[in-house]
Amino acid sequence: MQMQAETNLMSDADMAEEIVIETQDVNVFYGDNHALRGVSLDIPKHQVMALIGPSGCGKSTYLRCLNRMNDTVEGCRVVGKILLDGIDIYGPQVDEVLLRARVGMVFQKPNPFPKSIYDNVAYGPRIHGLAANKDELDEIVLSSLEKAGLLKEVQDRLHSSGTGLSGGQQQRLCIARALAVRPEIILMDEPCSALDPIATAKVEELIDELKENYTIIIVTHSMQQAARVSQRTAFFHLGEIVETGPTEQIFTSPIDERTQGYITGRFG
Amino acid sequence: MTDLSNKTGGTGWNSDHFRKNLARRKRSEKRFQRIGLGAILTALTLLAILMFSIFSKGYTAFIQTSISLDVTFNEAIIDKDGTRDPEALRHANYTKLVQESLRARFPDVEGRSNLRALFGLLSNDASDTLRDMVMANPELIGQTLSVELLAGDDVDMLNKGYIDRDLAEDNRRVKDKELVWIDSLKEEGQIVTHFNSGFFTNGDSREPEKAGIAGAMVGSFYTLLITMLLSFPIGVMTAIYLEEFAPRNKFNDLIEVNINNLAAVPSIVFGLLGLAIFLNVAHLPRSAPLVGGLTLALMTLPTIIIASRAAIRAVPDSIRQAALGLGASKQQAAFHHVLPLSMPGILTGTIIGLAQALGETAPLLMIGMVAFIADIPGGINDPATVMPVQIFLWADSPERAFVEKTSGAIMVLLAFLVLMNALAVFLRKKFERRW
Ligand SMILES: Nc1ncnc2c1ncn2[C@@H]1O[C@H](COP(=O)(O)OP(=O)(O)OP(=O)(O)O)[C@@H](O)[C@H]1O
Ligand SMILES: [Mg+2]
Repeated sequence: MQMQAETNLMSDADMAEEIVIETQDVNVFYGDNHALRGVSLDIPKHQVMALIGPSGCGKSTYLRCLNRMNDTVEGCRVVGKILLDGIDIYGPQVDEVLLRARVGMVFQKPNPFPKSIYDNVAYGPRIHGLAANKDELDEIVLSSLEKAGLLKEVQDRLHSSGTGLSGGQQQRLCIARALAVRPEIILMDEPCSALDPIATAKVEELIDELKENYTIIIVTHSMQQAARVSQRTAFFHLGEIVETGPTEQIFTSPIDERTQGYITGRFG
Repeated sequence: MTDLSNKTGGTGWNSDHFRKNLARRKRSEKRFQRIGLGAILTALTLLAILMFSIFSKGYTAFIQTSISLDVTFNEAIIDKDGTRDPEALRHANYTKLVQESLRARFPDVEGRSNLRALFGLLSNDASDTLRDMVMANPELIGQTLSVELLAGDDVDMLNKGYIDRDLAEDNRRVKDKELVWIDSLKEEGQIVTHFNSGFFTNGDSREPEKAGIAGAMVGSFYTLLITMLLSFPIGVMTAIYLEEFAPRNKFNDLIEVNINNLAAVPSIVFGLLGLAIFLNVAHLPRSAPLVGGLTLALMTLPTIIIASRAAIRAVPDSIRQAALGLGASKQQAAFHHVLPLSMPGILTGTIIGLAQALGETAPLLMIGMVAFIADIPGGINDPATVMPVQIFLWADSPERAFVEKTSGAIMVLLAFLVLMNALAVFLRKKFERRW
């Protein structure tokens, strides 16, 4: 498996990056609805990959395959290979609960637990036993909030409710919560769609910093956002990947006319 | 726009057409509000009438008439050998002591039937009162004391104004000669009324003046305890399993339909089920809170399951996803997040279910909890009755004095129901604050 990933990497001459996630011919069915059709996509390490495409084209579905959240959807079936560091995440030796610790997720609508800010961030480390004692847990919580750029704003009210924050703060709290379990990959499904431009700018800034240490896959409906934060972009259409490549190339010289139509706003 | 102007003659939103339409809508709204208000007022009036009739009849149950008499603790009657042996003191003839006191108060009364009527002024509980006094303090022997003794139910009823003095003697439970004695006692200030603490500390009795609801309250307590201990955990676990873990398939749909149907099954059917299973197959003791609790648990389960499922379903999916997305297992998501968030709804449903069980009579009749039981039950296996059944029993008794007992017991039951509902509200508020 490792070998194969390596060779793929070599053959793709113009990118010297390491690939963390390799998707090979993935098909997803919701009952009879064939939502993803033969999707193959390589996701390079420590970069931001943007998924764009018209509504209902399967971006969220693809994202949910990567941490097996689709397992929780009634009637959903995933066929194909998804390799994380060369290991099939749908294989028998992978436990979906541990996988979700490695592959964190931030949702479209901020969804903090109705608990204190501290408990929100501490929940992941607690269930995975990441901290040996209270001091270590404090350390994890504070550093996660720091990384999510929220610490300064909430420092003096760590024990007040997480739902009492503004929408943008809530979303950064959710990011901090995901960071606290030390994931390698973070999936973000339209993380800014419920936020105002200022909060959006903050989250985008944060994404830019996070890519130093994390691999980020972000679904967005905003072309500008994709252009601003991502290094690579994949364009989905009707359950298929139409085109994928460096973000600049996709936005300046798309090969497929459907891509061109979408990014210029002619359809979608 | 052209359409609009055509229809309204070109004057737009200010036209007659719209103004009439608006007026009509406003009238309709007003009418609806008035009907709603009327419905509420009707309901409130009926409730007020019900409450008034219960309270006006029932409040006297909390008052008790006693007769204050000079009692001579005659050594010759109580302890003629002078040994002060507790056994001898216990078995002494205190009834004679009571009778002697009454005769001393009314020396003119002669003849068997007259004397029997005179002794009937006091409850036969009076001798027990004297025994308890002597047992507690043997020093009393030889002394003469003024003691308040429980009046018989007829005196009690007369004193509370339930017996009409103007009725012909034949139709009156208190005869003329008794009236004379009672009036004489009253003149001397020997008729006294107190708060009826016995109503809350005594078990049931054939004598209305001694009957209390303590036995029924304790019986209800044990029964509800069993009901709660069984139906709450089972109901909540079932609800969590069905909502969070069970796959959607025909089998689970069938379970769901059946649970909903069970909630609509008449309660007496559960009584028959309890009779058939717990008594005839499992041979558990008859009339016991254990069996009553088991039976009521069957009845309460569907209510709790349905309320809990609704509460669990009301927890937004985003919370589950947030937990699962962090690597929580399904069970952790359910128990760390979904269950605490749905707790207020679950508790409300549970308490309403238990309140229903508290007021339930029919299924308990089937398993023999309707017997006359004078003792206060000491455990879940003792014969017992419960409050609604006690009300049913008293309502069925011929004595006039049981009417106020019935209303009094209803008031106590209602008080418990109000308390339970208040508890539901309190718990809901308390848990909600933690969100
Ligand atoms: N839980 C589900 N059950 C059944 N079908 C689903 C479910 N989720 C998504 N689908 C279907 O799968 C297809 C892809 O949906 P998906 O949510 O992945 O689209 P999307 O690209 O994320 O759209 P959007 O941009 O609007 O979020 C759609 O046809 C949708 O109807
Ligand atoms: Mg989506």
